[in-house]
Amino acid sequence: MNIIKFELLKLRNKSRGWLGPILVFILIMVAFPLTVEISNKDLDQSFFAVLWIAVLLVMMLATEDIFLEDFNDGSLEQFAISDISFPYIISVKIFIYWLLIGVPISIIGSLFCLGFTNSGNLAINIFPILLITSYIFINVFSFGNALSLTKGSVLGTLVTLPLLLPLLIVLGKAVISINLNLNYLGFVALLLGVLSIIIFLIPLIISYIIRAHLE
Amino acid sequence: MFNFEFNSLAEAFLMQSQNGQNHGIFVWSVLIIVFVSILATFIFYKMSIKKITKKLK
Amino acid sequence: MYQVDRAYSYIFYVSLVLYLVSIFWGLFVTPEDFVQGNSYRIIYLHVPASFISQSLYIAMAIASAIFLIWKVKLSAYLVRSIAPIGAITTFIALISGSIWGIPTWGTWWVWDARIVSTLILFIMYLGLISLHDSFSNHEKADKFLSILVLVGSVNIPIIKMSVEWWSTLHQPASITISDKPAIDLVMLYPLFGSIVGFAGIVACLVILSSKLQILRRERNKSWIKNYV
Repeated sequence: MNIIKFELLKLRNKSRGWLGPILVFILIMVAFPLTVEISNKDLDQSFFAVLWIAVLLVMMLATEDIFLEDFNDGSLEQFAISDISFPYIISVKIFIYWLLIGVPISIIGSLFCLGFTNSGNLAINIFPILLITSYIFINVFSFGNALSLTKGSVLGTLVTLPLLLPLLIVLGKAVISINLNLNYLGFVALLLGVLSIIIFLIPLIISYIIRAHLE
Repeated sequence: MFNFEFNSLAEAFLMQSQNGQNHGIFVWSVLIIVFVSILATFIFYKMSIKKITKKLK
Repeated sequence: MYQVDRAYSYIFYVSLVLYLVSIFWGLFVTPEDFVQGNSYRIIYLHVPASFISQSLYIAMAIASAIFLIWKVKLSAYLVRSIAPIGAITTFIALISGSIWGIPTWGTWWVWDARIVSTLILFIMYLGLISLHDSFSNHEKADKFLSILVLVGSVNIPIIKMSVEWWSTLHQPASITISDKPAIDLVMLYPLFGSIVGFAGIVACLVILSSKLQILRRERNKSWIKNYV
């Protein structure tokens, strides 16, 4: 419990870390209709394309220095040898990042969805998908960041980006089936399944990688 | 079993299909790309192995 | 390494002859396809490349698992040396596929799941190479590379599944030859021969590439001076 509070305080005080990505997300969502004709009826089609890509990029931005500062000031090394299990600390860290960045982005994203498509049904249904998706993205990108911890974050996230592209196909399908009033729960179940595997596996892998970095 | 589909070299180059289109250019360009890229890779590795063995000697 | 050197030439010549003969057979002897016309002959160049590009990734995943579990240093070298070869075969598969697309589909690129997944594979091979090259400490780089390869191998069944979903929702127009009844035997033999021959040629490339890798990494060891 202590560690959750500690990580929460640490991220909250670093307002650039959580406010920046949210602002970038809002900026993308506000700016993209300017490039399309306002009366274009394809706007709500392209909205979802932009939404998923924006979530992807913002999560990439959000995890930019998730481990770097702790690695530089040596507190990551302290965590690695402390009594509490190291994967647990890492999963707490990722959870806090999702809580402060992923959840607001999901709320804002579904509000934008309401604004663009004028369909409350769609906005409500898209919200849980956004929540799950942002959590998956944040997990995978922090794995990428751990890979290239000392080499700057761009390389690692770029390398892990292809892993997420099949997920985008699933998301596109889910939106299509919500639009057509089909049953989309299968896609949500699939995303939840992916999340439940990732949520346990990624902290283990990251702890292994960071231990290798600290050697 | 072993009879050629094409009667002359020119016919094989053009590869005219039943619908009248010439597909030869596609087939031949793919063939050239595949062969050239494999050959280039072989040459690259042979050269760099030769270079490094020379350095080691 | 001495045995590999000796085996290399056998593999090379046998597979080269097999590949050339089956390509020749496929290009000139097999009858014209009823649906696609003569452009279907690209299959003898395209299918081996795309098949091998996926199996190379699986080979990389197996090698990296061996490295992570048993700490066999050679398999880490193998992972690094397969990556560029895989990138080249994937590149061949992409290019030949898109040229094949011009006469059959009327367009050189379709955002079909299979094509996109091949493109993802290509990007992943490039990313693996760039990740490994960014570290100056080779042992660390080996570890991270094999972790990434293993995590990425999760993607292969996912990609396979997404192909099925894609084709169930989108009606494939006249995209694949798998719609036809099974390939005729006359066409199947050269296809099989070209796959085996191409696999042999790629195996030779992997041997050369891993030889280069071994020479580079072990250049300070004494046995390498005896070998050279």
